[in-house]
Amino acid sequence: MTTTTIPTKAQPATAAVPKRRPRRERQGPAWVFLSPWVLGATVLTLLPMAVSLYLSFTDYDLFNPPRWVGLRNYVQMFTEDPRYWRSVVTTVTYVVIAVPLQLALALVVALALKSMKRGKGFYRSAFYAPSLLGASMSIALVWRAIFNDGGTVDNLFGTGGWVNKPGWALLAVALLTVWQFGAPMVIFLAGLQQIPGELYEAAAVDGAGKWRQFLSVTVPMLSPVLFFNLVLQTIQAFQVFTPAFALSAGKGGPADSTLVYTHYLYDRGFVASHMGYASAMAWVLLIVIGAVTAVLFRTSRSWVFYASEGDR
Amino acid sequence: MPGHRTKGFCASAAALALCVMLAGCGGSGESVGGGKVVLRYTWWGNPDRAERTEQAVALFEKQHPNIQVQTSFSAYEAYKQKLATQAAGGDAPDVMQLDYRQIDQYATGGVLLDLAEQKAVLRTEEIDAGLLATGRLDGTQYAIPQGRGTETVAYDVEAWKASGVPLPGKSWTWSEWADTMRALAKKTGKPGATDPGWSEDSFEVWLRGQGKSLYTKDGGLGFTADDLTRWWTFTDKLRREGVVSPAEQTTQLDGSVENTPLGRGEAMSDTNWDAPASGYLALIPSGVALAPMPSGADGTPGQYFKPSMFLGVGANTGHPKEAAQLVDFLINDQEAAKLLGATRGIPVNDSVREEIEPQLKDFDKTIAAYQASLEGTLKDPPQAPPSGDNALQTTFQRDYDQVSYERMSPREAAENYVTEAKAELRS
Repeated sequence: MTTTTIPTKAQPATAAVPKRRPRRERQGPAWVFLSPWVLGATVLTLLPMAVSLYLSFTDYDLFNPPRWVGLRNYVQMFTEDPRYWRSVVTTVTYVVIAVPLQLALALVVALALKSMKRGKGFYRSAFYAPSLLGASMSIALVWRAIFNDGGTVDNLFGTGGWVNKPGWALLAVALLTVWQFGAPMVIFLAGLQQIPGELYEAAAVDGAGKWRQFLSVTVPMLSPVLFFNLVLQTIQAFQVFTPAFALSAGKGGPADSTLVYTHYLYDRGFVASHMGYASAMAWVLLIVIGAVTAVLFRTSRSWVFYASEGDR
Repeated sequence: MPGHRTKGFCASAAALALCVMLAGCGGSGESVGGGKVVLRYTWWGNPDRAERTEQAVALFEKQHPNIQVQTSFSAYEAYKQKLATQAAGGDAPDVMQLDYRQIDQYATGGVLLDLAEQKAVLRTEEIDAGLLATGRLDGTQYAIPQGRGTETVAYDVEAWKASGVPLPGKSWTWSEWADTMRALAKKTGKPGATDPGWSEDSFEVWLRGQGKSLYTKDGGLGFTADDLTRWWTFTDKLRREGVVSPAEQTTQLDGSVENTPLGRGEAMSDTNWDAPASGYLALIPSGVALAPMPSGADGTPGQYFKPSMFLGVGANTGHPKEAAQLVDFLINDQEAAKLLGATRGIPVNDSVREEIEPQLKDFDKTIAAYQASLEGTLKDPPQAPPSGDNALQTTFQRDYDQVSYERMSPREAAENYVTEAKAELRS
């Protein structure tokens, strides 16, 4: 993650010596170039968000115009809906299982790939492939077949169908996510290659073994990348939908054990036609994810090491 | 410097990931065939119904060369969700199959066309007035019933005979039913029936057998947590004895015959609607027979004749006349009736029914004979359920999952359900 300055036509003379110009002067062209993104973000993201915020204070069944109900959706959610709290517990459990497992696996594979001499490109692609496939419904359905009654796992180990056992179904969902470790792996790999070789040589000279080198060189040098992966995967894990939905054949069962937050949100919205309630759930989720991310950023000060700070 | 870059990048990436979450998705496509009127016709059902419907639609297209019909079907749960989304987006199909539960919501939501406008091509004179009225709301005919159905205990005839337990007779009470299932389970080592505790429909039959109802006249809840506790205690006990299907199988039920224990060869019988029961024949070639649903202790029947499904026309359709022609064809045409048989219930058009009944083949004959045997013994159907019932059906199964997986007592789950139901019906 180094910065290289490329001389551009706009600033041929000042490229070497960055000098701040008054801001306003350069805004026009910038907005022109940004316009596709700004348009997309406004129409497809900001506007729907605003509507969703409004709907969260209404009773809206899709067919009749929304009716203002103030905070009723939020009150009902927190005080009158046991299934809502069950979905919260399920989702948190899922995040706590899936994220660390996925990151650990991604790191282990990245370390193994880094030290590989031949065929690195092939294996990197091979391990990345599930991430490309994983978001699709078809893979989730295959996963369901593997973990169902009389499926592969049942036949091989005689475990019965995991997807029909409340204690195991969520684990099957988490495993599907863990298996898609490709994206964090690639980022880890890039991070590992950024660590200067001299550090390892110096450590070796000082008599540090492989494990010691990992703890004292790799981990601190990699911590910004680890942090980045942790934040992104946590945000994504809170929003898990497809694997949980498909593995339970759209039911969130057995016994609500895979009824994750977004699935219940979907149910309230599209099955029960309570779009207002569903919007309120979406906003609570947004706020909670925002808060969790903020906490992660705060704790990062104590464990994330930035090489540049070390120079000072 | 590089370090700060990483952190800043990380922060903005996180913010982006957060924003993408709330943006919804949408989109629809309307296709136009070469100069032809294109109608979209959707229904729910199994492959057997799909095959027969496709044949009927092909015949319609042959009779009306200017009309092309695009069909699509799925299982009921998926259909329900898809249709709701399409309807809300103003993109309802031209012709859609509807359940009794959907009429109220869709009609009041302005999704359905007033069919009286198309009287010229859509004939209704030969449909029983009482049955026709079930598709009417506040005096407007929004939908036409397509068939008549009732619930049944479907069973594997050969396997039952082989077990040595006497076959079911013309009527039985719930406790006689339970004793028979016990005997079956003992003889065969397999559960005698699907655990009926998951099904709101079966609960309704049980409730009506005691003179109660699911909903009151004004759309409130017609039973108490005590009633539901007794029902779930009854089924839970049978499940613990191994007399009905275990939780792992019950949780997979979704209305399709393929997922029932009977369909998978794991049980001797299933409680289901009579029309979809024809799907069992593909799974159990040796033969399936139909017995009536159990009645109350004093013999009060709980089951009733229900309009099994309706056809409605989208209010936004570009071709109301052609859509009405398709509805008319599916309901009143002799040839169509021959192809469709009883896959959506026994036909509602009187002269079509008279014509068709002797010609019914295979399982359709069984259904017709079953319905004839119940004629005159059943009580009037309840009025159309309130729109909240749509969601409550799912809640009912979820709450029973908690019982069958032994995570809650029948009492706890029943009280949960009643709380949820009251909130649902209030709004």
